[in-house]
Amino acid sequence: MTSTAEIIDRCQALFEDLNFSAARAWKAAAPGRKVIGFLPVYAPLEMIHAAGCLPLGIFGGGDQMEVIHGDAYYQSYICRIPRSTIELGVTGRLDFVDGMIFPFVCDVIRNLSGIWKMMFPNVWSKFFDTPQNFDPEIGGNYYIHELQELRAGLETLTGRKITDDDLRRSIALYNENRRLVREVYAFRAREPWKAPTSEVYLLMRAGLMMDVAEHNRMLADYLVAAAASDRPQRDNVRVAVYGSFCEQPPLNLIKSIEMAGCYVVEDDYALVNRFLTADVPTDGDPVQALALAYLGQSVETSCKYVPKEEDKGRFHVEQVRKAGAEGVIYATPSFCDPALLDRPMICGRLKEANIPHIAFKYAENSGQMQPIREQAGTFADSIKLWS
Amino acid sequence: MSEIVTAGIDIGSGCVKSVLFKVDGERVEWLARETARIRNRDPFQLADEAFGHMLKNSGVDRDQVAYVASTGDAENLKFATGHFYSMTTHGRGAVYLNPEARAVLDIGALNGRAIKVDASGKVLAYKMTSQCASGSGQFLENIARYLGIAQDEIGSLSQKADNPEKVSSICAVLAETDVINMVSRGITASNILKGIHVSMAVRLAKLLKSIGATEGVVQVTGGLALDTGLIAALNEAAEQEKVNLVATAHPESIHAGAIGAALWGAFRHQKLQRLAQAA
Repeated sequence: MTSTAEIIDRCQALFEDLNFSAARAWKAAAPGRKVIGFLPVYAPLEMIHAAGCLPLGIFGGGDQMEVIHGDAYYQSYICRIPRSTIELGVTGRLDFVDGMIFPFVCDVIRNLSGIWKMMFPNVWSKFFDTPQNFDPEIGGNYYIHELQELRAGLETLTGRKITDDDLRRSIALYNENRRLVREVYAFRAREPWKAPTSEVYLLMRAGLMMDVAEHNRMLADYLVAAAASDRPQRDNVRVAVYGSFCEQPPLNLIKSIEMAGCYVVEDDYALVNRFLTADVPTDGDPVQALALAYLGQSVETSCKYVPKEEDKGRFHVEQVRKAGAEGVIYATPSFCDPALLDRPMICGRLKEANIPHIAFKYAENSGQMQPIREQAGTFADSIKLWS
Repeated sequence: MSEIVTAGIDIGSGCVKSVLFKVDGERVEWLARETARIRNRDPFQLADEAFGHMLKNSGVDRDQVAYVASTGDAENLKFATGHFYSMTTHGRGAVYLNPEARAVLDIGALNGRAIKVDASGKVLAYKMTSQCASGSGQFLENIARYLGIAQDEIGSLSQKADNPEKVSSICAVLAETDVINMVSRGITASNILKGIHVSMAVRLAKLLKSIGATEGVVQVTGGLALDTGLIAALNEAAEQEKVNLVATAHPESIHAGAIGAALWGAFRHQKLQRLAQAA
């Protein structure tokens, strides 16, 4: 049996490698292979996979990369992920990537897609505009067209037709991935001392940089190894972390929250593999199936419009209760408009539901963890002793 | 309510402090205490050893300890049941040492904290000094070393001052330069130390004011609690800041964090038992 340490060591190596050696090796292993980068928060990876390409999650530069060129493209009041993504491009770290997908998150990422087109005109890139209307006749039809446009773009890039059967096979593989991901999350919620979030996070991030079938094996191995591990349970509080769906916090921040006496039992880190909350049907029209899953069976996050104001934040309250969390840490990247504009509404909903919560901001390269530890730690103390 | 044994282990930047209590409702019995200077040693190893000594000296088995609570920099202490943060534990420890305390000044080797508490030791507000070390025990220890003075002489010498010399209250580097200049100008050690105490006390009094602690007893905890010169300067600074605060200390003040951890550990153990029974 592979140990959790062995699995996580491999994930950490992938996570830290900003030259993406594993993806380069995948591409070099067979002629004609293509790698498609995608940014947070959600992209239909099934479509990329069905095109025979490797979907590669580009989730910023983290805290190990100095941003020099990227700062020239954005004002000081813009978040860090577009700067570090540009830095990755300008420094040649993405020179093997054949296409880039910029899903809708906010205006900054929309503009990043335009900048990318100008900077790298020979790289196929697409701004993938997910719908904000959830009526199947309106938003659904629009989204089917958007998916078909993506399909056509990938077909042109690869010179290969994506058949409905290709897509159904990929959907089945990603359904298995989603099932295993849900199982890891459920295991963590049951026995968080055996599956620390600093490990689960690396496990999920690694999955965005490898073939889905390989990740499925890795998830299954981790579940077996984590269940068999002998780690002591501590008197920690159970918390949910929200607001971190796009620019990712540094790994040390995730570790600091755990070190401060919190078991993270629910989160919205790197949401893409949990964005769809149920299996996508593998019979019928696969494009329509993907579209309907997005409309009706996907998470609530700040880059998705919630038509009824009274529904805003309800998803978070339900998730908190389902995971058995005792409090919420709303941790957002500095200058993240979607997360920060949502914060008063979501925190207001948590307050109505008597769920203790705190909020703070970070950047992907935040280095000072002492204030975070103190804030999360005193929050944990207040739940343990006085709630 | 049944009798339980709890331990509190506080890893600071200078010392590891540990206590072992027998708790029965409001009745608290000291079983053991240990203090170990870190001096470049592994603090977790020291904590492990101290815990072992306390168990041995009090004739308690490890299995009899219902809750081992860590505090300070002891988040990674492997044998702890749970961890509480320093504001939480110093607040509770201070109220245990002086039930009249409604504010706490925890002044350790690297920084100071002002904490406002209620009668149960619950934290109502807190604030820390900035990252600058000039309001800290380490700074005072360095100055004492430059002046060739033993640490336990600092308080009495400071109180003999007749003309305290003003020291920069902003920056440890500038303050150390100030002190070197004072020595070369022939200022007495008493006046230098008193000047430093006044500078620290004014900052700490302002910190108390900023969290709304403006009257009543301030219990000083942490490594500098036994510095009588600092306590005297704090009471003078309170007058200067026009706040009705009285600073006091207790011989066990250095253990306040560990005491608070052990007491909250007992509280938490009982709360978890109640929750388990209710489930």
